[in-house]
Amino acid sequence: MAATPARKLKSGRELDGVQLAILNKRMEAICRKMANTLLRSGRSGVLNSARDFSCCLVTGDNRLLTVSESLPIHVLRGADMMAEAMCEFHPKLKRGDAFLHNSPYHGCSHPADHTILVPVIDDDGIHRFTMVAKAHQADCGNSIATTYHGGARDVYNEGALIFPAVKIQEDYKDIDDIIRMCKLRIRVPQQWWGDYLAMLGSARIGEREMLEFGKEVGWDTLGQFADQWFDYSEQLMINAVKAMPAGKAVANSKHDPFPGAENGIPVKVVLEVKPKEAMIEVDLRDNPDTFPCGLNLSQACTESSVLLGIFNSIPNAVPTNQGSFRRVKMYLREGCVVGIPKHPTSCSVATTNVADRLGNSVSRAIAQIGDGFGMASTGSIIPPSIGVISGTSKKTHGPYVNQIFLGWGGGAASPQADAWISIGHIGNAGGCFQDSVELNEMRFPMLVRGRHYMTDSGGSGRTRGGESMFVEFGPTEGNMEVGYVSDGGVTPPEGTRGGGSGRPATQFRRDRNGDLHPLDACAQALIREGETIVCYSCGGGGYGTPLERKPEEVSRDVREKWVSVAMAREIYGVVCDAAGVVDKVATEALRKGLATSGRIN
Amino acid sequence: MRFAVDTGGTFTDLVVENDAGDIRMYKTETTPDDPVRGVLDALKLAAKDFGMEADSMLSRGQLFVHGTTRAINAIVTGSTAKTAFLTTKGHPDILVIREGGRTDMFNFKERYPDPFIPRSLTHEVSERMGFDGAVLEPLDERALRATLDELKRQKVEAIAVCLLWSIINPKHEDRIGELIEKHLPGVPYTLSHRINPSLREYRRASSAAMDASLKPLMGSYLGSLEKRLRTAGFKGRVLVVTTQGGAMDALAMADAPIHSINSGPAMAPLAGRFYANQDSKLRDAIVADTGGTTFDVSLVRDGRIPWTRETWIGPIYRGHMTGFPAVDVKSIGAGGGSIAWVDEGGLLHVGPKSAGAVPGPVAYGKGGTEPTVTDACVVLGWIDPDFFLGGAMKLDRDKAADAIMKRVGKPLGLDVHKAAASIMRVATENMVHAIEDITVNQGIDPRGAVLIGGGGAAGINAVAIVRRLGCPELLIPETGAALSAAGGLISDLRAEFSTTHYTSTAAFDHAGVNKALAALEAKCKAFIAGPGADSIEQIIEFTAEARYPSQIWEIETHLRRARFDTKEDVEELRQDFHKAHEQIFAIADHGSAVEVVGWRAMVRCRLRSSERLVVQPANGALPKVAASRRKVYFAEHGMVDAAVLRFEAMGHDALVAGPAIIESPFTTVVLDPGASAVRRPSGSLAITPN
Repeated sequence: MAATPARKLKSGRELDGVQLAILNKRMEAICRKMANTLLRSGRSGVLNSARDFSCCLVTGDNRLLTVSESLPIHVLRGADMMAEAMCEFHPKLKRGDAFLHNSPYHGCSHPADHTILVPVIDDDGIHRFTMVAKAHQADCGNSIATTYHGGARDVYNEGALIFPAVKIQEDYKDIDDIIRMCKLRIRVPQQWWGDYLAMLGSARIGEREMLEFGKEVGWDTLGQFADQWFDYSEQLMINAVKAMPAGKAVANSKHDPFPGAENGIPVKVVLEVKPKEAMIEVDLRDNPDTFPCGLNLSQACTESSVLLGIFNSIPNAVPTNQGSFRRVKMYLREGCVVGIPKHPTSCSVATTNVADRLGNSVSRAIAQIGDGFGMASTGSIIPPSIGVISGTSKKTHGPYVNQIFLGWGGGAASPQADAWISIGHIGNAGGCFQDSVELNEMRFPMLVRGRHYMTDSGGSGRTRGGESMFVEFGPTEGNMEVGYVSDGGVTPPEGTRGGGSGRPATQFRRDRNGDLHPLDACAQALIREGETIVCYSCGGGGYGTPLERKPEEVSRDVREKWVSVAMAREIYGVVCDAAGVVDKVATEALRKGLATSGRIN
Repeated sequence: MRFAVDTGGTFTDLVVENDAGDIRMYKTETTPDDPVRGVLDALKLAAKDFGMEADSMLSRGQLFVHGTTRAINAIVTGSTAKTAFLTTKGHPDILVIREGGRTDMFNFKERYPDPFIPRSLTHEVSERMGFDGAVLEPLDERALRATLDELKRQKVEAIAVCLLWSIINPKHEDRIGELIEKHLPGVPYTLSHRINPSLREYRRASSAAMDASLKPLMGSYLGSLEKRLRTAGFKGRVLVVTTQGGAMDALAMADAPIHSINSGPAMAPLAGRFYANQDSKLRDAIVADTGGTTFDVSLVRDGRIPWTRETWIGPIYRGHMTGFPAVDVKSIGAGGGSIAWVDEGGLLHVGPKSAGAVPGPVAYGKGGTEPTVTDACVVLGWIDPDFFLGGAMKLDRDKAADAIMKRVGKPLGLDVHKAAASIMRVATENMVHAIEDITVNQGIDPRGAVLIGGGGAAGINAVAIVRRLGCPELLIPETGAALSAAGGLISDLRAEFSTTHYTSTAAFDHAGVNKALAALEAKCKAFIAGPGADSIEQIIEFTAEARYPSQIWEIETHLRRARFDTKEDVEELRQDFHKAHEQIFAIADHGSAVEVVGWRAMVRCRLRSSERLVVQPANGALPKVAASRRKVYFAEHGMVDAAVLRFEAMGHDALVAGPAIIESPFTTVVLDPGASAVRRPSGSLAITPN
């Protein structure tokens, strides 16, 4: 992907810095309008509460140009590949066409991310741009009631309906055959239908705006803008990479053992920063082949995770598009768990678990190259507290299936700041909303007994990792199934440059007597009425040695109950009381002792 | 006489209406150390202009309406009271968890926001209500008393209480209130179900936390305001404008000070609607209020002012949500002080950094070196350097030009005029986007709306903005520079009551809903009999907070009736919801049932009978200057010779064609070539953009 050299600018007139700024703002406004429409009109909680959606704009020759503020794992790469698939399968695009796409073998992230592609066709019939609206569905027709089927042996066992850029509208009218198929195979079809309307509405609004925009400023001007915008973005990326230290690093991580990957899934990132050439190279070929489970990455998620790790790690804001991506070279392998999967490999859980391991390892590799760059590891997911709940109840007038978002802690420490605690996971970057307890209890037959952060659960460091979250809930009417795929119990999120790791994830069933029974990391857990599920999400990794954390910051941590008095003393070398009052003399002596004993990491 | 004062960040605006119904307006500098002094300064200025002693003028006043940024400033600067938070056991982190959301996805340089009340002042209360109001765990009063003792030791100055499901069964919150009064007498507290009885614990907790934390401060501020007005001779009623676009008695406000957050900007759409009704046939209006540092946009949709539940103090997701329904105002950092700069890739940006009042734009000559929007206007000839704020401040055109050349012109290879015009283009585009964000969210098409330009800097690029948006009309009210204060003058006494009662049109709970509505109506009637006793007219309106099944966000649907007796009544609600949904989101699911989560009643009591709001020039201020001409630069026309007119001196119904500049001591209106303006009997300048 990245090796394409900078395109030569079209001959003739060039746009100046003012025109570029204005045209870019207009493009961004169109994407934002799409996103606002999608957010506000969507039906499922995954979409309108958790904001698990994205909108973007791809050029007619399938280069990612503009992105709404979206979940990074959704849109760094993939929209371009999906548009390419659309062009390949439908060489004659017409105005009024719309396509449904969720194939991880053709550029989609994973099958739960239904995507609507609308080609923008000018009055002369030329395909100028493609508007892309993608949203995670409450259900996608899997063989079990979850959109994250970790145990799926292959795509057949997974069960999702796969749509490789399938035409779903012609002349602005639905192709009912496809709609009927979806309604028969997708649980809670009304929710899907509502989300479909929202996605379509969003893409169509984008199309309408783009058509007017093209008429107003001229399609050639927009084409010229795209070329120059890529060059501008590339230039900012060149400057950013040139400001980084040169070096090569290897970062390893390992996804926990899951069904189909009983020994876990190792992830190895070999990364080199070449400031002279203004290139970052990432080699992922020395990783295992795909596994007979749902954790394999789609190509879109592999490349997005690498880019995400990189963009999180450079200090300055650089637009994320095809232009800045030119400064990243990736070496991928077909049939690799973090590479290019071959059908019928299942990629059901491609946006989170192994993708997180990959993105985090990229960030840590950069951190290893130089202090002040990179990040620690963000907490792993998907714990039961953000699992998919299902069952049947009077309250819901029948069956219910929905992903809840009660809690996930564990942001990663960066060189400049403590973690953003409610980050979700690295691919989400905190974009998701978290559910209201009251709203969940009103909508579903459930009671949330507790929900709070855990003291001493974030990775220690000069900057602190985010805390783990405790959540306990259970059904109030009938039994409830909770589907989840919780990584980070065996290998917790790593710290970097001397920072500690976050608390590992764990989950239990609490029976009616109050006794706790451990649950598997990947399960469709049955919780009976009167029982609860108890979960601790991962904490995030810390950055730098905790002995370098300022005593006044540790004091605040203790006063605010993020760090205990004991941990402040033992790990941070800060002697203080529960109110955070620091004994300066004792602290200095203790820190000296700890530093020379080298006990800390 | 009536007085309306809006204390803003930079200026204190005063609008006075005498008994003949004539309006005069004044501007003085805000005095942040003692804002009441700025208010009294403005009143003295007015008294002098009316040729009266201040106390004799004030003694003739019936009404004093005040908009203040006091509350919002206290929150932004973290100078609110030391406040404790009491909440349901097991859920201590409601204010930490918030609702998630983040912007600037790849920027990890900023740490997570601190909760509005620290964890060290948060205490769990043993109790739990179910979603249906059933007591799942009784309130442990012994443990609570120990907690209250702990609060005493912590020396807290205020207490916020938010328990899960208190909106359905408030028994435990009420009991905690009683125990606070008993054990911590005199410590102000706020119960979440009283201040903001709505679903979603974070929003309710946030409202309660902010409200409680403001009580000591706002209590003393409003008390002092009233006392000093009385001392100065005022005998009438003191009202404070609310976030919901109404007014309430100052003492009532002191009991629920969260209503005063954003109290200034919430008045602008009220004035905007007033002027739109007078001079435009369009039912939708966009009200833009442009000051020195912020650009506020609000709306009128089909004659009503749309609301939002999501008002943030500070940046979205990083600041604090009030959790309170309020007039929807979108604010961005843009105005005369916005700084123009060119980045390392050669791209021009305007803002978000502002030169503020100090050092201010380069042309102020107060040490500013970075070129701003105001500097660009001076260079283009749009602002007369000798007539800024009526000549109160001389501007330095050459300095402004040098800064623009150095920071923008040279890096982009543009001459000084092109560079200045480019700054205006980007600034206009930023404002257009703020308008597009709020209009798309509220389902308004700017192409069918009139734009009302308010604030001192509105007229500079209002024509450019309406051209970009495709608005057919632009109105610049004569009170535009003090739009919020003018809104205060015409505001109604207003109160709002709400309740949570879940039902669906598929199985409508007639008895339960009617009981809830009757209770709301009784509260409205009590308000009419109490604070509203002297009003001219009273209006009660009901709305439902409704959604399609499995949707998360409710939208407001106006009810056509106060009770639901028949199936047809329910069907009418369902159809009205479809229409509201279609208006906002462009789609409706006609086959679907509709769920209602909450019910709301608003009562408005009209205090002012007059239908006009026409400015009389301050005594002797009417300039008899002849229209002049000056050189003015426009991007598409280059340097042109433009007529320069005085706003106050313009006769009615004489058409002025652009290019022209229309000036007053408070504002400058730039009429681009191709645009035309006419002054209406209302005093407003009506502009046709093309």
